[in-house]
Amino acid sequence: MTTENNNLEREEAVVVALKATFPDLTARVKRIRRVEASVSKALTPSVLVHAKNVLGYKALSHISCVDWIEDEHFELVYILWNPDEKIQLLIKTLISRENATMENIDTIWRQANTYQREMREMFGIEFPGFVGAKEFLLEDWDDMPPMRRDFDTKEFVKEAFFLRPGREDAKDVRDTIAKRSKEEIPEFAKKYSREK
Amino acid sequence: MDTNDKGVRKIVDMITGFARSNSLFMLAYGTGCGDIEIPPAMTSRYDWERFGYRKMATPRQADVLLISGYLATKTLKRVIRSYEQMQEPKYVVAFGSCTINGGMYWDSYNTIKMLDHYIPVDVYINGCMPRPEAVMSGLFDLQEQIKKGEANGAQKYRENLEWYRGNQKKVIKNWVMPEYNW
Ligand code: SF4
Repeated sequence: MTTENNNLEREEAVVVALKATFPDLTARVKRIRRVEASVSKALTPSVLVHAKNVLGYKALSHISCVDWIEDEHFELVYILWNPDEKIQLLIKTLISRENATMENIDTIWRQANTYQREMREMFGIEFPGFVGAKEFLLEDWDDMPPMRRDFDTKEFVKEAFFLRPGREDAKDVRDTIAKRSKEEIPEFAKKYSREK
Repeated sequence: MDTNDKGVRKIVDMITGFARSNSLFMLAYGTGCGDIEIPPAMTSRYDWERFGYRKMATPRQADVLLISGYLATKTLKRVIRSYEQMQEPKYVVAFGSCTINGGMYWDSYNTIKMLDHYIPVDVYINGCMPRPEAVMSGLFDLQEQIKKGEANGAQKYRENLEWYRGNQKKVIKNWVMPEYNW
């Protein structure tokens, strides 16, 4: 893409259009063809409906979830796509991590059903009034939802499976290579070293 | 190993061993990403049919169960069922580092790490993923073992069923299968 092509008029227009209808929302242009909006939890469904029916974001590409464990919330990102304008719109909303619930939106896009099933299984987010098979990928899972960051995978693995001995002396790859080729490791990278 | 009263292998077992080792039917059940090496191995490039291997569609007709990579606990359940439905003589070839020690999934919450704790393994092939040459060399090892009458994983399984079942039930919590499938 050439630099002449880099004016962001179309993206700015989306921001203006969103703000005109929803004055409470913050939106910004992320880069060419990508706009990002942060919305409160209560407002999210109406913003999604508006984006779909009025602004032409017909396709829901994905719903992803980020676990901000330090701030004690989940961030849901609804990724919408406008096939005419070729612009991607990210609608982000924060929900509390305790008893996480979110509005069910599979009446707006049917494919949301699948994503919501996944989030229910992997993060434990409940969607009241939502109908979908209980299990998505896992079978007979009775532990904490595994994609939550407070789920300790390593401890779980030690409990649940047999580990073949010989893994304990695993070397830090970066350190080993640096030592062998007498390379300097930059200061900032040292805190990631596994070598004590 | 079957021996006669003088401690020598019976000739009839040598003959059956020879015959068995040269017509191995393999259950076409790909579990992990390693299964992508099987099409080149079985088609014209490496053409393993010339050594007597064939792919078979159902467990009841197969002799060899080739575990081609990582096993999610969900898949393990299906593998156990397939393995138990196979008729003896039956052999297991485990393929890829995932089956040996978990490979790159060694700290994954949903894949088993040591396959030989769940079903008996006759031959391990290491590599991530093993090339068709390695797969075939593993199968030659299996042939050698069968000829010598040493590939007795199925017998091991029968005799230590309780231990295997215990391990299996540790990961498959909701055991909705019959206690014994064959
Ligand atoms: S050993 Fe490697 S190629 Fe084989 S299943 Fe595991 S990750 Fe895939």
